[in-house]
Amino acid sequence: MKRVTSVIATSLAIGLSFGAQAGTLEDVQKRGNVSCGVSTGLAGFSQKDEHGTWSGLDVDVCRAVAAAVLGDASKVQYKPLTAKERFTALQSGEIDILSRNTTWTHTRDTSLGLNFAGVNYYDGQGFMVSKDLGVKSALELDGAAVCIQAGTTSELNLADYFRANGITYKAITFDTSDQTRGGFESGRCDVLTSDQSQLYALRIGLKDPASAMVLPEVISKEPLGPVVSQGDDAWFNVVRWSLMAMVEAEFLGIDSASADKAKAEGNPSQKRLMGSEGDSGSKMGIPAEWGYNIVKQVGNYAESFERNVGTGSPLKISRGLNAQWNKGGIMYSSPVR
Amino acid sequence: MKEFKPLPAQPAPNDTIGPIHWMKENLFSSPVNTIVTLAIIAFFATVIPPLVDWLFISANWVGNTQSACTNENGACWVFVIAWSKQFFYGSYPVEEIWRVNLCLIGLVAIIIASFKLNKDLRNKIAIPLFLLLPFISILFLDGSWIGLEYVSTDYWGGFTLNVLLAAASIIVAFPLSFLWALGRRSDMPFIRSVSIVLIEFFRGVPVLALFFMGSVMLPLFFPEGTNVDKLVRVWIVLTLFMSGYMAEVFRGGFQAVPKGQYEAADSLGLNFWQKTLLIILPQVIKISMPNILATFVMLFKNTTFLLIIGIFEMLSTTQTALTNSNWLGGHSTEGYLFVAVVFWICCFSMSMISNSIERKLDTSHKN
Repeated sequence: MKRVTSVIATSLAIGLSFGAQAGTLEDVQKRGNVSCGVSTGLAGFSQKDEHGTWSGLDVDVCRAVAAAVLGDASKVQYKPLTAKERFTALQSGEIDILSRNTTWTHTRDTSLGLNFAGVNYYDGQGFMVSKDLGVKSALELDGAAVCIQAGTTSELNLADYFRANGITYKAITFDTSDQTRGGFESGRCDVLTSDQSQLYALRIGLKDPASAMVLPEVISKEPLGPVVSQGDDAWFNVVRWSLMAMVEAEFLGIDSASADKAKAEGNPSQKRLMGSEGDSGSKMGIPAEWGYNIVKQVGNYAESFERNVGTGSPLKISRGLNAQWNKGGIMYSSPVR
Repeated sequence: MKEFKPLPAQPAPNDTIGPIHWMKENLFSSPVNTIVTLAIIAFFATVIPPLVDWLFISANWVGNTQSACTNENGACWVFVIAWSKQFFYGSYPVEEIWRVNLCLIGLVAIIIASFKLNKDLRNKIAIPLFLLLPFISILFLDGSWIGLEYVSTDYWGGFTLNVLLAAASIIVAFPLSFLWALGRRSDMPFIRSVSIVLIEFFRGVPVLALFFMGSVMLPLFFPEGTNVDKLVRVWIVLTLFMSGYMAEVFRGGFQAVPKGQYEAADSLGLNFWQKTLLIILPQVIKISMPNILATFVMLFKNTTFLLIIGIFEMLSTTQTALTNSNWLGGHSTEGYLFVAVVFWICCFSMSMISNSIERKLDTSHKN
């Protein structure tokens, strides 16, 4: 009896592990598109324009994966998700990648049955103040009224920060970021706090953007990155290395304009990334030119950053932490070899 | 004998006619009234000119990017115009939009036909077409089954989605709710209790909670790999929600039909279904029509709740448009105002239609 039970248990376990491994990669190749969970609208990260075209830093991760696996960055099926639905959509297999400014935290990584494939934007909570206030640091904000969106982690971080520094504040909460901006603009509060990437978007929405400034302090760590479901290592590798390829391409000095040249006559590490040397593609079960396709069609990380949130966009976010490691940031990719 | 000649009609005394007298009588009849009148005039005088100026005179109409909104004292209608395709059709491919229009025209045509056709044709053609319409529309909009280009539900959206989803829900809910209402009046304990549980569940749970259940919880119960489309899940949720409400409307209708009608049908020897469908149902529908239409207006407005589960109906399209980094100039007033006006026009015309149907069906002995 015991044996029978153990046989059943083993076969179940095998069946389950096969079930889990019967891979997303093959599904994607068979289906011919990558199903990608994005936000319903977040300036610079995943946004739809008036023609229905998706763009953004998070969207570019999906496009990179599609370029790597299918050779065509446009073969992405976008699934707009709200914050509450995002993990369910991944767990139920409705989407292949979740690329929706999701903060990499211990709880999410360990208890939700999913894996973070890397970080495509290092965010952190910051403060925006009116220039008239004459404040240069968040530590001078004793007694300030702070506009904040209710129910976010920003609210908790704010309480922690002010308590740790022994200063007081008065929180004025709003439901949506639009209302938060309204509160700040009408002078109901001296400070507005949110993730830095949001602060820049909120600042553009002000009637006079130049009247407000973002303080240098960052009071929380918010590494944002693409997520895949746990237990599908082949797919995890593809997503992780698609992201890495963009960062590595920037490090190696390859952009979409120079991709052809790097592929034909680059140095050895450039050629390895572009797939004209080595077998990095076949090790992951995808075409050899995966790196070339990503850089050619989507661009390297710097291009994607500047186009969506940096100098090429209305947001004008500076690279900061998201610069390459040898330029003062912490964007670092492992070598392709 | 002197002939009686009536005096020619005299004009009314000058102080009892004319606009001045009317104003005296109605607006300035007492000190309090005078003050109130002046206050209201002052209020309108301060509010309306700037409003008209913002809405029309100083407003920006021409262009297709945010930078075209040069006059900061006026509304930026460029925003609404540039996004109008998204507002009405979502991301549905431009070359395929005729399919959406066809479905809308079909809906309107069937509604008009059910007004104009005579009773016989109405029962034989309009009603079956009406019940089939949601499914025909799905065939057309999806396209893959009938050889048109496949358009995934991720691309459906905008105001047409609000309209079609509301229509599809109410059409399916109609027969369903009728059955539930019948079940609730049934003498069979099992059927009665099942109907009561269903009706009270869908009436008692807020529609937002139902949407969350449909979009977040349901997928976890399906075996891995089987995905029911999110829009279909929402459609089912809306239909059941609507059925719960309409069942109660129908029950009210059933109770309002005089007992004599049931007895008359019984004495003619009609069986249960003949009695229900031929004698009772027409009277029930007539009695419940105003309430059914009121419920429909409610359902139509409820479709905007879909924004909380990331379906691009009109309201969430507006929110998405507001977060686009090229349109971050704070156009929320224009966007929401536009949505409000569109919905108001639709809901108002529906209550006009409802009124006219009510008058048409009115055979009561009120007068």
